[in-house]
Amino acid sequence: MVIRIAAVGDVHLDEDVVGRFRPALEELPECADVLLLAGDLTRHGTEAEARCVAEEFGGLSVPVVTVLGNHDHQCDQVPQVVKVLEDAGITVLEGNGVVLDCAGGRLGIAGVKGFGGGFAGRCASDFGEPEMKAFVRTTTDSADRLGAALRSLDCDMLVALTHYSPVPDTLAGEPLEIYPFLGSYQLGQAIDSAPTALAVHGHAHAGTERGTTPGGVRVRNVAHPVIKQAYSVFHVGDQLDTDQVSPIGQSGSQRSWS
Amino acid sequence: MTHHRDIGAGPPDEYVEAEIQRLLVEDPAVAEQGITVIRRERALVLYGEVESPHRREEILRRVSERFPDVPITSDIGVIRAQAPTEIEQLP
Ligand SMILES: [Fe+2]
Ligand SMILES: [Fe+2]
Repeated sequence: MVIRIAAVGDVHLDEDVVGRFRPALEELPECADVLLLAGDLTRHGTEAEARCVAEEFGGLSVPVVTVLGNHDHQCDQVPQVVKVLEDAGITVLEGNGVVLDCAGGRLGIAGVKGFGGGFAGRCASDFGEPEMKAFVRTTTDSADRLGAALRSLDCDMLVALTHYSPVPDTLAGEPLEIYPFLGSYQLGQAIDSAPTALAVHGHAHAGTERGTTPGGVRVRNVAHPVIKQAYSVFHVGDQLDTDQVSPIGQSGSQRSWS
Repeated sequence: MTHHRDIGAGPPDEYVEAEIQRLLVEDPAVAEQGITVIRRERALVLYGEVESPHRREEILRRVSERFPDVPITSDIGVIRAQAPTEIEQLP
């Protein structure tokens, strides 16, 4: 069983970008069963920018599933943005999931935007001022909803889709000081609470592609500035041509901070 | 006696850097979180990747407008958007 997943995040669309992705997107039906968008679809989260996203990523012959990013929240027009995307046939996840019938089996995707907080041993705590507690509880709620959504899906293969990162591995390249604003270990913990096959995120524009959760789930940062192509394609499954299999030991161990 | 900084010298470089970094994110005409400001001997250099040539020009324009006395150079790239040539197998 092999499911073919295309993914990109942080396309930050506005009028000046419309049309740039389209030629590559037209090739999707030949190489992927689904396209995942890992948030930051827009620059400021306006309805007008969402229409640019709908124009660029709507009407493709593969299903498109997305979460929103922090940029998509900037102008407080989330309901309008979601409506424009949904009207274009794009599935927007936030604390829920969807199951798609693919040629290789039923693909379950659970998604949340996620939030910051940092990683084990170097993270914010639910303690002190109300502002601090609100910050940490936002992440906890988000991670709880991701975990529940992942565990609720009846499918053959499970994928987690977030904007913020669930692991520090894929942030390598970002300044260490801003890690707490780029993700949270709690998202990783949620991903590890279910038999997740792959976790996809964006947000870390200067990060790196590959990582692994403490529970061994592969994590991929698909932020557009990181992958430097219209989308990445992953073939996930257990019957692969062994010649093409990349060695598993390579994932998540390289840390070259600049 | 305490030596005070010459008022005419302008704000220390670190505050200028911080202000530019904030401007890059908070100015609606820019809204970029992925641009790095690096202090070189002769100028501040902006590095990063954006989605269009228009955005690259806009960044330099807005920063120079706000800090006319700070020498700024930019080495910002426009991210390619071609279809991938390889897939990744995940067994
Ligand atoms: Fe982004
Ligand atoms: Fe983001």
